[in-house]
Amino acid sequence: MCGAPAFPDREGVIEVKQLTKRYGRARAVDDLSFTVQPGHVTGFLGPNGAGKSTTMRLILGLDTPTSGEALVNGRRYATLGRPLHEVGALLDANALHPTRSAYNHLLWMARSNGIDPVRVAEVLEQVGLAGVARKKAGGFSLGMKQRLGIAAALLGDPGVLLFDEPVNGLDPDGVRWIRDLMRSLAAEGRTVLLSSHLMSEMALTADRIVIVGRGRLIVETSVKDLTERYDSLESAYLALTAGSVEYGAAR
Amino acid sequence: MIASEWLKLRSVSSTRYAIGAAALVIVLGAVWSFYVGTLADARGSIRAAAPEEGFLPLVQISLALVGVLAVTAEYGTGTIRPSLTAVPRRRALLAAKATVVAAATTLPALAVIFITHAVSHLIAGDRAVGYNAGSFGDDLPLLLGSVLSVTVLALVGLGLGVVTRSTAAAVGSVVGLLFVLPGIAPYLPQPWNVRVGAWMLPNLVPQIAGERISTRLDGLLPPAAAVAVLAGYALVALVAAFLVFERRDA
Ligand SMILES: Nc1ncnc2c1ncn2[C@@H]1O[C@H](COP(=O)(O)OP(=O)(O)O)[C@@H](O)[C@H]1O
Ligand SMILES: [Mg+2]
Repeated sequence: MCGAPAFPDREGVIEVKQLTKRYGRARAVDDLSFTVQPGHVTGFLGPNGAGKSTTMRLILGLDTPTSGEALVNGRRYATLGRPLHEVGALLDANALHPTRSAYNHLLWMARSNGIDPVRVAEVLEQVGLAGVARKKAGGFSLGMKQRLGIAAALLGDPGVLLFDEPVNGLDPDGVRWIRDLMRSLAAEGRTVLLSSHLMSEMALTADRIVIVGRGRLIVETSVKDLTERYDSLESAYLALTAGSVEYGAAR
Repeated sequence: MIASEWLKLRSVSSTRYAIGAAALVIVLGAVWSFYVGTLADARGSIRAAAPEEGFLPLVQISLALVGVLAVTAEYGTGTIRPSLTAVPRRRALLAAKATVVAAATTLPALAVIFITHAVSHLIAGDRAVGYNAGSFGDDLPLLLGSVLSVTVLALVGLGLGVVTRSTAAAVGSVVGLLFVLPGIAPYLPQPWNVRVGAWMLPNLVPQIAGERISTRLDGLLPPAAAVAVLAGYALVALVAAFLVFERRDA
């Protein structure tokens, strides 16, 4: 979204290539490969502890892979100059300083990436927090924090978006709002990678699915394919992840 | 990026409280000056310590806390991840933090120390209270050395904050450098008590001004060497911080 892309054919693509991350002896991510394309909501599914959050941290260059690599727009995240123009992420809605206002939380981000402060007001408006912009984030409900995290992800108008369990702890209205937002972002041609351990929610939001278990890839396919092969997405998920647990336990 | 780090620092209330605590020294200094002034009235002349030197540890600790919290608050709240997502070039991020911490502590230290000095002299008037025996030029090296010690402690706090990721551990280490180690040094066997004592952080300030460390202890280091050792504390802490920050998982 800024200047000529270095790899036009990989614009908007997230490539995870034989990615492995060990913490001590535990393999949080184990030889994982998949690709996320623009124009879709890609659901990133797996039981708790499957390695979804770790994979996202590796994509964002927060953790260093033990082996393999993750590329966004054909490049390692750490090599992006002003990354918020290319990638937006919500990893943890609680990652806020309690005495800093919502406005200032977004403004420091905008300044770090040369984003016009006008955008701060725009995204606050978009997520419905304009009225509490000057309030300290410490007093926000979880739902408001999720909205602020989404505002932060949208700040640089990026082509690639990553959301880690964004609907956890939201009320039904909030869940509905996020679902519609994800779908509209993908419809604008953006890449949306959305993690969850809730299959039922994903069935309503995603059109492509990557399922992981014990750090390994179980399946990478379309929602349509899964619903044709199984009665429902839910039973597909249960059948597939049950297999992974057996496979993992036998290892 | 500097503007971003500056906004981070000034948009949290802990920074304001810490600078406020440092500014309290102006009030304490005025109270002290009135007190020694009344003593001087009663006795003719006395030898009282300058309040900006006596209360210096309060300025040092308060503003070192600004350096510590600039990074430990990020680890404590989890905002270190958004920070590194916004600025993945870690060395540049830490350099920006160090620049902002240095500026945001040096300027208040300069203001507090020089205002306390001025106020204490105004209150003393033409009474002989000890701390007003010399000219402003005589006092200047000690005043500037005091300001430098605050900058150094704030950067040491930042560096220790990066290494430990814990407010308690980093503040504890700063307190150790400022109070505990200098308290232990005199108990070392001769001649190490003097040699080690001369390198202790609070003892460097008088040596910068070419003064005695205490009534019993002469300084060993010439002023330029004392400045270098003081700066060395910040350098060591920051180098350690850069090495750790560069490769650690966030
Ligand atoms: N920083 C870390 N240190 C040690 N173990 C970790 C760390 N982060 C994640 N893990 C472990 O890696 C595995 C995958 O965790 P995570 O990526 O959070 O899974 P998910 O997001 O799918 O629930 C878990 O077993 C977790 O305990
Ligand atoms: Mg997770």
